[in-house]
Formats: sequence, structure tokens, C-alpha cells
Amino acid sequence: MAISKSTKTGWRRYWPRLFLLIPFGAIVWVPFYNRIEPEFGGIPFFYWYQLAWILLGALVVFGIYLIETRITGVTKRTEPGFEITGSPGDVL
Amino acid sequence: MSLDPVATSVFVVLFLFVTWIGFAAARWRKADLNVLNEWGLGGRRFGTVVTWFLLGGDLYTAYTFIAVPALVFGAGAIGFFAIPYTIIIYPILFLVFPRLWAIAHKQGHVTAADFVRERFSNRYLALAVALTGIVATMPYIALQLVGMEVVIGALGFPTTGFVGHLPLIIAFIVLACFTYTSGLRAPALIAVVKDTLIFVTVFAAVVIIPAQLGGYGAIFSSVPEEKLLLPTPDAGSLGTYSAYVTLALGSALALFLYPHAMTGILSASSGNVIRRNAALLSAYSFILGLIALLGFMAIAAGVDKDPAFAGGFSLYGANFAVPALFLASFPSWFVGVAFAAIAIGALVPAAIMSIACANLFTRNLYKEFWRPDCTEAEEARMAKIVSLIVKVGAVVFILAIPQAYAIQLQLLGGIWIIQLLPAILLGLYSRAFNGPSLLAGWAAGTLVGTYMAGTQGFTSSIFPLAVFGLSVPGYAALYSVVINFAVAILLAPLFDYMAKRGAQSAAS
Repeated sequence: MAISKSTKTGWRRYWPRLFLLIPFGAIVWVPFYNRIEPEFGGIPFFYWYQLAWILLGALVVFGIYLIETRITGVTKRTEPGFEITGSPGDVL
Repeated sequence: MSLDPVATSVFVVLFLFVTWIGFAAARWRKADLNVLNEWGLGGRRFGTVVTWFLLGGDLYTAYTFIAVPALVFGAGAIGFFAIPYTIIIYPILFLVFPRLWAIAHKQGHVTAADFVRERFSNRYLALAVALTGIVATMPYIALQLVGMEVVIGALGFPTTGFVGHLPLIIAFIVLACFTYTSGLRAPALIAVVKDTLIFVTVFAAVVIIPAQLGGYGAIFSSVPEEKLLLPTPDAGSLGTYSAYVTLALGSALALFLYPHAMTGILSASSGNVIRRNAALLSAYSFILGLIALLGFMAIAAGVDKDPAFAGGFSLYGANFAVPALFLASFPSWFVGVAFAAIAIGALVPAAIMSIACANLFTRNLYKEFWRPDCTEAEEARMAKIVSLIVKVGAVVFILAIPQAYAIQLQLLGGIWIIQLLPAILLGLYSRAFNGPSLLAGWAAGTLVGTYMAGTQGFTSSIFPLAVFGLSVPGYAALYSVVINFAVAILLAPLFDYMAKRGAQSAAS
């Protein structure tokens, strides 16, 4: 019973972190971006694609930060065990 | 090359300025610097902005700023692997390290080895973590000197004999002194200057130089075709594709295990500071991407064919590409600013690395094995002395030993440091693992990784793994840490069983 409750709250607390897979997905398949066309202002795709993902990756992380802050901000008062700096060893 | 008076004056003035900051930092957020938590972690009070400057100054080192464009200049597209690498370090930082910070803050851990020691109650695993950290960081400090050496040479200082080494030795004595007195506060404050200078330099470079060379289109069209993209792999091999992506992934997993990165993280004032910085630090990655492109600008500018730079290229090889580009494109006074940015960029990580090594030695070797009940003041004093020794070691290393060895050792350092991943990661998220199995995994991973680099003559960390007849060249660090995980996980039940048996026979 305790376990199912903690997985549920864990899921509610941590689901935005799935989005962290997006930057990995963007760079893992090299043949996709190892090309010249389409160029952007004379810069081959290989270079501007990866430079663009630095910024997009930052946006993803920042978005998750904002969502998580909302979640913890709303629920912290009602569920004190919800805090992110929980004791070592508790389930993610 | 003769000494450029204007550039050198600007350089020296900026250097004196950061020296003053380094000593003045002792009085910033004043506290008792005879406590390791204050000297070695700045009292864990750095907020979002200071942490942004500190980690940015710490992770994006002078060596990076010289070596990445040098690789792009010399080898082309493969050098750009630093970009996907820096894209994926921040999701990892966001996911894992606020949790480590929280535990370390609660338990008063100063090093990663402290965490492992408490988590698994195994001092030998902690010893392995501490020694790996120190050994992997030493050549890294030495390489910061390489970055500094190149710009000092480019200013026109003599480069041979004792006189040639003098500027470097003076710079490191200064660095050693202010690190001794101010601890982590010094690089934290100096990082603000360093990062500002780097941002100014890079923005000037990406605006002025392309304008001189006829735009980005002209720059890329002057790059030889074979350097512009990764070569398409032959049949039966994944070639550079798998090498590129495993280099990025392996380097990203290894980065925050380095002691200097850990020190930067633990000195933050909260987990939220780390999470915010996981988004904000990307600004430095973008700067690094622009710096990587300087390698192509150097090709387009033809600096390697300019007889004025022939001496520099014969001394420093491709590492001279960016200094030569700056000399060719900027007025003297701005060359001084740009070179000061690189030299100061060497001081910040070198200071943090030496502090991190000193923390590891004091906490996990000295206190653990020789002086378990030493006082806080003795602990802090020991760390300060060790930080001096580490820096002397780095100078001797770079002056006495061929530079190629420092580069090879740094390459091995990446393979060794990633072996700490299972102990830290499994320690953070689970209680199902134990010290002996992780120690066995660490040993297996270190041996296999070193062997893989050995098959390449220690000149490359790309190992051609054969999978069912398909060759998958990849970063040896990533391959070996998989073995490390496998050994640690498979042996865990065995060691648990043996421990239980031992406890039973002791009870009966």
C-alpha cells in the first residue's frame, strides 16, 4: 500500500523529467544531421542544427524546472513528504 | 615573433587585476577560512549567479578553448563532438546532482568519496574514488598550463630555456598563493572577470572575423570538403558515426564526476541553484560552439600559410590556430584582452582542480587513514598545503615531461573518472548494492578501459568493438563503464550472501 502511494506521488512529481530525453533523441542519430543542406546563412546543416539544439536543450530543461517548481509549490503545503531534497534512499 | 608592447601591457594589467581580486576574495562573505567547508567549498553559500560564473569558469577551461578549435582546424567535423557533449550534460546535471547536493549538504560531505564512504560504509571504495579523482585531475591541471603557454608564446615572449618558462612559473606561484589564502572564493570571484572577458572576446570574434573573411558562407566554402562533414562509414562499420555519439555521451557522463565539477556543485547554496544552472549554463555551450567555429575561420584566414606564424605553428601545432587568428584579425590592445581571457581562463579551473584534489586527499586519505581525530583547523591547513603541492606537481609535469604524455594521461583520465559512475549513481538511487561489488566493478572497468586505450597505443580512446561482425568504433570510457555496471550488479547478491553468512557464523 505504501509502495503504490509513493510511486503515484513520485510519478506526479517527476513526470516532466521524461522530457529530458528530448535532447538525447536530437543528437543520437548522427546520419540525420551529418549533411550540408539545408544551409542557414551559409552555415551547413551539421553545424547550425547542433548549435540550435544547445538553445532548444536549455529551453527543455528550463521548462521542466518551471513545471516542477509549480508542482512542488502547489503541493508542498499539503504533502510535506513531497520535498525534492528528500532523505537518501527514497524512490525517485 | 617579437614582443608586442601594447598587447602585453593590456595582458599584464588584466593579470594584475585578477591577482588583486584573488587575494581580496578572502574578505568576501567573510568567514573562518580555517575550516575546510569554508576554504574548500566557500561555505556552500553560492547562489544562482555566482554558481553560474563559477561552474562556467570551471568546466569551460582554457584548454577547451584552445584544443576544441584546434581539433576543428586540424581534423574538421569530428571536433564538433564537444557540442552534442555539452547539450546532454545539462539534462544529466538536472536529473542527478541536486539529489547528491542535498545528501552532501545534510551529511556535511565535502567530496564524492565522502558520499561513497558514508553510503556503502566502505573506506576502500572511498579510497578508490578519491585516488581516481586525484589521478584523473592532475594531468588536467597540467593541460591548463598548455593553454597559458600558447598565449604567452603568442605574445612574443621568449619560449626557450628557463627565461621562456618564467612567465608560466610566476603565474602559477601567484595562483598558488591566492588559492592558499582565499580558497574557493578566489576562483569564484575571478570567474566573473574571466567569463566576461571570454564573452566579449568571442562576440567580437564572431562579428569581426567573418566580416573580414567575407561572411560565414565564404568561411565554410574555403574549408576542404573532407573536413566539413563526418566521413560516411564503410560497409560493416559504424565508423565515425558511433565514435562521434559515444564520445559525446561518454564525456557527458564523466564530466560531473571530475572532482572540480563536484566541488563547484557542492558549493551551491541549494538544489534549486543547480537546477536553474542546468538551463542557464547552456550559454557557455553556445559560446563553445562559436569558439569551435574559430577553427574553420583560421582555415579560411589561411593563418597556417602565413610566414609570420610559422614559428608558432612549429612550436604549438594546431593549438596555435586560435592565437594566430586573433593576432591576424584584432588590433593589438584587443589581442591583449583576448589572450588575457584565455590565460585567466586557465587560472580558474586550475585553482578549483587543485582545491578539489586537496579536499580529496585531506578527507579521504589523510583523515581516513592517518589522522582520524584531527581537528578542523588541522584538516583545513593540510588541504591548503596539498593544494600548493598539487600545483607545483602540475608545473613540474608540464616543464619536465613531453606534452604528448599530458594529453595521453588526460585522455586516460576520462576513462578512469567515468568508473565512479556506478558507485555514485547506484548510491544515490538504491540500497541494493554493496561496497565490495562496486569495488570489483571499478577495478574491472578501469582495467578494461585502460586495455582498450592500450590497444590504440594510448593515442586514441576510440575502440573498434566488434559486434556480430559489425565494427562499432566507440569511446572506450563508455564501453568500459558498461562492464563496470555489469560486474557491480552481478556480484552484488554474492557479496550480500557472503556478508550474511559471515554475520551468522559470528553470531553462533
